Amino acid sequence: MDFLTPVLEGFGVALQPMNLLFCLIGVTLGMFVGVLPGLGPAASIAILLPITYNFDETAAIIMLAGIFYGALYGGTITAVLLRLPGEASSAVTALDGYAMARDGRAGTALGIAAISSFIGGTVAIIALTFIAPVVAGFALDFGPPEFTALALLGILMVATLGSGSAVKSVVAAALGLLLASIGQDPLIGTGRLNFGSDQLFDGIPFVIVAMGLFGVGEILYNMESVRNARAKIPDVGRVYPSRADLRQSRGAMSRGSVVGFVLGVLPGGGAVMSSMVSYAVEKRVSRKPRLFGKGAIQGVAGPETASNAAASSSMIPLLSLGIPANASMAVIFGALLLQGITPGPLLVEDRPDLFWGVVNSMYLGNILLVLMCLPLIGLFVRIVRIPVGVLAPVALIITLVGVYTVRMSVFDMFLMIALGVAGYLMKKTGFEPAPLVLAFILGGILESAFRRSMRTFDGQLTGFLGEPIAATLLAATVGLIVFTILKALRAKRAKHQPTNETTPV
Amino acid sequence: MLISHHLRRPARLGRLTGTALACTALLATGCTVYGGSNGTGTGEFPNRPVEFTVPTEPGGSSDLVTRALARSTEEHLDGTTIVVNKPGANGKVAGNSVFRSEPDGHRVAVMPQSLFSIGPLVVDDPEPIELSDMTFIKGLTIEDYVLVVPAGSPHRDLDDLLGQDRLNYGTAGAGTGGQLAQALLFGFTDVPAADIPFDGGGPTMTAVLGGQVDVAALHPAEVMPQIEAGGLRPIIVFSDERLDALPDTPTAVESGYDVVVDQRRFLAAPAGLPDKLVDRLGAAADKATVDNEYETILENNYIRQWNAESAEVESQLSESRQRYATLSRELGVDLGGQS
Repeated sequence: MDFLTPVLEGFGVALQPMNLLFCLIGVTLGMFVGVLPGLGPAASIAILLPITYNFDETAAIIMLAGIFYGALYGGTITAVLLRLPGEASSAVTALDGYAMARDGRAGTALGIAAISSFIGGTVAIIALTFIAPVVAGFALDFGPPEFTALALLGILMVATLGSGSAVKSVVAAALGLLLASIGQDPLIGTGRLNFGSDQLFDGIPFVIVAMGLFGVGEILYNMESVRNARAKIPDVGRVYPSRADLRQSRGAMSRGSVVGFVLGVLPGGGAVMSSMVSYAVEKRVSRKPRLFGKGAIQGVAGPETASNAAASSSMIPLLSLGIPANASMAVIFGALLLQGITPGPLLVEDRPDLFWGVVNSMYLGNILLVLMCLPLIGLFVRIVRIPVGVLAPVALIITLVGVYTVRMSVFDMFLMIALGVAGYLMKKTGFEPAPLVLAFILGGILESAFRRSMRTFDGQLTGFLGEPIAATLLAATVGLIVFTILKALRAKRAKHQPTNETTPV
Repeated sequence: MLISHHLRRPARLGRLTGTALACTALLATGCTVYGGSNGTGTGEFPNRPVEFTVPTEPGGSSDLVTRALARSTEEHLDGTTIVVNKPGANGKVAGNSVFRSEPDGHRVAVMPQSLFSIGPLVVDDPEPIELSDMTFIKGLTIEDYVLVVPAGSPHRDLDDLLGQDRLNYGTAGAGTGGQLAQALLFGFTDVPAADIPFDGGGPTMTAVLGGQVDVAALHPAEVMPQIEAGGLRPIIVFSDERLDALPDTPTAVESGYDVVVDQRRFLAAPAGLPDKLVDRLGAAADKATVDNEYETILENNYIRQWNAESAEVESQLSESRQRYATLSRELGVDLGGQS
């Protein structure tokens, strides 16, 4: 049990009053940052970086990490209440969370989200404590071929996400792939579909797509109901999830923890995919997949657990390899450098107090967050009762300001409005924005990973078969397709010939 | 502006907010404010915060360097400074925003050499930022490139590596110095080598550590911790002389290949900045670059000081652009060529 000594000493560090205070400041700031759409954790950490110069190094990193995972708790609130996903990870939560809020179950959705976030975060930190070195190596096994296979599997799952017409889902997903191809070619560096504009040269940031299509589209759609004078203000309902709600979410939470922890370790897109994969998994294992998109509680519990688990485990590559797994980690990397510490493989040995102090502060931070969130739910759900005529313009302004802060660009504000109009029209014509948004994320990952793989394999597709992890994932993808087709065929046959002939498959 | 002297570092956020409010007020009152300050005549600069634009996301090395520079410049400029991040199009978004503004000294940018020397080899840009669009104030930093292989790699040295039938080399993206350096090196020797560009230094590190690529060229700040921990092995450096941090690693030139590639950053303002202001900003930046905090950040990141005056920056940019273009042409290297 020798290895536990530094872990326990880390608790001593995390529990020092000063560090505890900075943890509290961090998570509180993070929660507010998360509530504001657009102002993401990466940007907020960057803004606060200069303040941390004069702090003790452990306190500084504890606070910045708190902002990062605290923002995930806050991001859920607007996703559920207003369908405004402030972060990529809460885009999926918006699907069923918002449906629940419309149903008068906003309190339940927020409560389950807070509890799921807590469980996901905590499970991942426990796993981090015991197996961080093992999983850090796992991150290195994931190269372009593996990401290609993972993204393919993800896109297949996205195809099953829509709850409406399959054709319309596919059309929306294709549009998402098209939007993803705007901007600099990931390998050659030339501009694509940017019409000569420098503003589009780097593509469209995900936040703008998600907030435009989901958030602004929804705001516009709601404003219609004001004119039609059939504005129905949903009830707030009970504020806390019931025992039955918790029982229903139990499975989703445990699956979400595993999915999130594993995918969060992967640098470059793993954490973003975790909430999506978890949603798809929940829909597959559910006995009532039709409820998804219409307010299934598992559709909130799973992805929320996964995204928080992924947030915790995305600290592993940073702290044990010195590789930032996402934008927020890159800024924390910068913060460590500022303090004169180079994150890398030697950090755990050289600075166990810092490493374990930060990791253990995350246990405390998650407890603080769930304690803060639950009482506040009663307050937040009242937002739903604000008349649309008042809420819509306020939400729109906050959203526009939020989008501006992403790149300090006025162009982005107009871009988001245009996407908002597109989202409104999609809703009017029965297209769902969800497959578009999800395909948008996965499309970028798939394209660059596939092209990198092909260069590595010298243009030979068979190269994928030589990579065990990639080959396994591809086999799973093929298996899933075959299984789906067989199931559909069997259902059809059973319909046509109800009595004779048992299916020969 | 007086207040800022009393509440230096911890008040940064408050000051940012204050600055934002002040800017809004300025916008609201418009020309009156400008007219007034111009009317009162000389010695007015700076009459509002001097804005340092960084062409990258927050948190990277050029962001850290700029923030340290802006902070120390403040003391020597007798005014306030703010840092604005405008990432996009390899620095062009920031450049366009700054270099199209009024040359009154209130807006400067920390620009990368690669946009001017390597960019044109990759992207055929109809409206590039020309050297004549800028007033150069001072050269700031030099970041080198180290060619590394994973520790488990069978390739011990450069000859070993170049004797392979086929190589995959990782780069931090199209148009980076690491890409150019490797393309030129492997171009010299006709090794069939596939260029695998990743999305920045982090993913490239992951790829070379995990053996997804055979070799990669990255900045010392990125690879040094891994070299010290025994995860990566340095093969050569692309600087003109050996690096202090890696005294046993030969340069490419020593090994017989005339490839010298680095990334430099410099401070520039819009074209037409009056000489008086060039001197004023240059002098403030000169003092700032010997500031303790600034030097520490450079040292921790294995970044070298580039103490170049205005004219030297310009000649370095045009010289490196020409040299890279000539070398690429002679060796038949086409950075944008593969698919």
